[in-house]
Amino acid sequence: MMEEVARLSETIENDSVKEWKAGGGKVVGYACVCTPVEILDAAGILPYRIRALGNPRTDIADSHLARFNCSFCRSCLQLGLEGAFDFMDGLIETNGCDHLRGMFENWQYVKPSPFFYYVKVPHQTTPDAMEYFEEEIRLFRGAIEQEYGTKITDESLRDAIRRQEAIRERLRKVYDMRKADAPAFTGAEALSLFLLASAVPPDRFCEMADAAIAERKDNKVTGYRARLMLGGAASDEPELIKAIEDVGGLIVTDALCYGARAFWSPIDLDADPVKAMADVYLRDLLCPRMYDDYPRRRDFVLNAVAEARVDGVVLTHNKFCDVHGVDNVQLRLDLEKRDIPVLQLEKVYGSKADVGRIRTRVQAFLERIGGKA
Amino acid sequence: MPIIAGAPRVPEGLFNRVFQMMEMIERVPDDFSDEEVRGIIALMPSDVADTLEGFFARRVRTASVAYLKMIARWMRDAKEAKASGKKVILVPFNFVPELLHAFENAVPLTSEVLTSLGAGATQGKGHRYWDYAMGLGIPDHLCSASTIELGSMLTEDDFEADAIISCTAGACDANSKIHEFVANYLGIPQFILEKPVDDTERGIEQYRKNFYSMVQSLEDFVGERIDEGRLRDVVEKCNRAAELHYQLWELKKNSPSPVPNLFSFFIYGCRFTMWGKQEAIDCLEIMVAESRKRLAAGDYPAAAEIARCAWLYVGYYIDYNGLFNWMEEQGYTYLFDVLDLFFPEPIPTGSKQEMLDGICEAARTFPMTRQMGADSMSVAWIDDAIHMAREMGADCGIYCGHHACKQTWSVISIVQKELMERAGAPTLCLQGDAWLSGMTPMSALQEDIDQFVKNVVVKKRAPRSVRSKKNSR
Repeated sequence: MMEEVARLSETIENDSVKEWKAGGGKVVGYACVCTPVEILDAAGILPYRIRALGNPRTDIADSHLARFNCSFCRSCLQLGLEGAFDFMDGLIETNGCDHLRGMFENWQYVKPSPFFYYVKVPHQTTPDAMEYFEEEIRLFRGAIEQEYGTKITDESLRDAIRRQEAIRERLRKVYDMRKADAPAFTGAEALSLFLLASAVPPDRFCEMADAAIAERKDNKVTGYRARLMLGGAASDEPELIKAIEDVGGLIVTDALCYGARAFWSPIDLDADPVKAMADVYLRDLLCPRMYDDYPRRRDFVLNAVAEARVDGVVLTHNKFCDVHGVDNVQLRLDLEKRDIPVLQLEKVYGSKADVGRIRTRVQAFLERIGGKA
Repeated sequence: MPIIAGAPRVPEGLFNRVFQMMEMIERVPDDFSDEEVRGIIALMPSDVADTLEGFFARRVRTASVAYLKMIARWMRDAKEAKASGKKVILVPFNFVPELLHAFENAVPLTSEVLTSLGAGATQGKGHRYWDYAMGLGIPDHLCSASTIELGSMLTEDDFEADAIISCTAGACDANSKIHEFVANYLGIPQFILEKPVDDTERGIEQYRKNFYSMVQSLEDFVGERIDEGRLRDVVEKCNRAAELHYQLWELKKNSPSPVPNLFSFFIYGCRFTMWGKQEAIDCLEIMVAESRKRLAAGDYPAAAEIARCAWLYVGYYIDYNGLFNWMEEQGYTYLFDVLDLFFPEPIPTGSKQEMLDGICEAARTFPMTRQMGADSMSVAWIDDAIHMAREMGADCGIYCGHHACKQTWSVISIVQKELMERAGAPTLCLQGDAWLSGMTPMSALQEDIDQFVKNVVVKKRAPRSVRSKKNSR
């Protein structure tokens, strides 16, 4: 099953998406972890998380965005302008970060999507901000109903919340199985599963995830030099994780946007659906775009370090990513105060040349923390 | 420790070093001779001398002295406030200082203004504080405008603020993150004023809620409710300053512009520091008077005004003489930059609520907040740039390409295209750091500007004049 997971997650328009489209289904793309995808799901639309899968080409994107913009956003824009996401029937923007906003503005300016909607997400969790975001979710719901001529009832929304929570439960289970001394999944495999979760219909993912979990129940990954946690910026690069794991640094947990931060907080299935979504997508959001709750992000990392018994933490950020670039410094200082070794790495997204440098840095880090083969 | 026993300790920290210079400025006469200027400049280290040479050029000297004395007063207020137990609040440039002037027991200190002074007028141009921040691991793509001053605070060997207001949430990740970092690192409170990226009525109402919530938090922190009488005095002064600001705008519409290029920097320097205080009014009145004198005399530093340039983002603050004065001497007028675009509205003074509402609206429409904090960064920016380019008769746009500004970099290609199509103005995209002299030398920037004007702007004008001759036949 993991081979099938890897195969599907390596392709942008995967077989499952093609089948969905062939059956007349709609697909709407989003990029940011703050997007309340349940609204799309409730309308019978497949929410699809935009990804670049390590695409190193940015020549077209660079004539719109600048070289001072994050290479992940430039890679995504490149694919968008090349037509890799032409299967999508709409696009949802959020103000996740300044680079993401620029990416969407240029995408819309150069190649407008048939449907485009902007969900505005506050940077704080004050009562006023929460109230504003709840209203923002209601407006989003109305816009989807209007565009796609469908009615999203509270019941259909609750069903969608249950479906999306079922995805999160599977992912949490996979992460749980990585805590053992001999983990059941490698970090690269966990990323493949994660990528699949936001690129196929929920039921399909749950079936595949259940099969993968059953297949790997007794699997034991051994022979690594150290147990590492990977944290930092948007990174959907299996190649990067493979490079780290190839030199013996097994990623046993993470604090990534394309990773644990996207599914860690459970949604309240019994609460008012809009409030439940506002809570999980804003109040519980673990993202450095939030400016008033660093201690919560730090505690999340510290708990993960303890639970997965990691030997060291690798914090990465894509060059020019301000939110992660600064948060990583705060985290490094706080982790080092607690004698947890940290490797802070700035990288260029999708750069093959950078992978070699990163391998070398990780090798040195493993030696520094005493991880011998 | 002083190297020589008994010698006074050379101050450390950006604030302290700039303040030392300002103490000297406070003592100079309002109008002093060329000989005295040469004497002062000869005593200064080269980095400082260059800046003072620019500020004390004959044609801007009176206004420069007024401006620097205003800044000296502003810094002294912070020193005295600290000594007397009042709260010194570090604010970013896109915060309304008049709100803090309305408090009896709080004063604003604007980080980017301090960096601009340090980058222009201290030996080493503030690099050591940038380097300190880099040493902690702060990424080199952060904004030097805030990081230089905040880096100095991080050394814990400089004048320290009691709290930080961060009002860049929604408009700038880089600044929001460094504010958060410094507040956490130094253990001082941070008050966030978020601008929703939403200019609908709902978004405006949300901003109002955020603003009033921040005012409440500030009142609690300072231990004082804003007094209506004091607020009225501040708002009346804001209104007077706004009148003077618009008088300068009107003067700039003349060609050649009678408003010296450097005044653009002085105007927003007033806005970001002493707006709502008599010192800002005094400084603006001098600028208006000086510009009127130039208009009456037909003075312009070059033989002709060759290009009227709209700086679409900020300028460069690493060499005031090399940018503002040099441009003017070539016949290139610096009409405005984005920091000039704050469009102050008269604030009704009837009630406390009306006055606070007026300040709130000024904050919501402040430079950068209004453009980068808008629903669409490019649309809001283009609207302002095109409106002002038309108002001022700009021939071209110049984008400084400050490295850290990912928001403007991410949409400059759209702005450039729209400005050309809708206002006929070509845009030069430079690359440089506006506050770090070590990135792109001023000589290279001058060369790019010069080539652009000569090869694009002037040539673009020529066919137009040919066309108008044909039409007149």
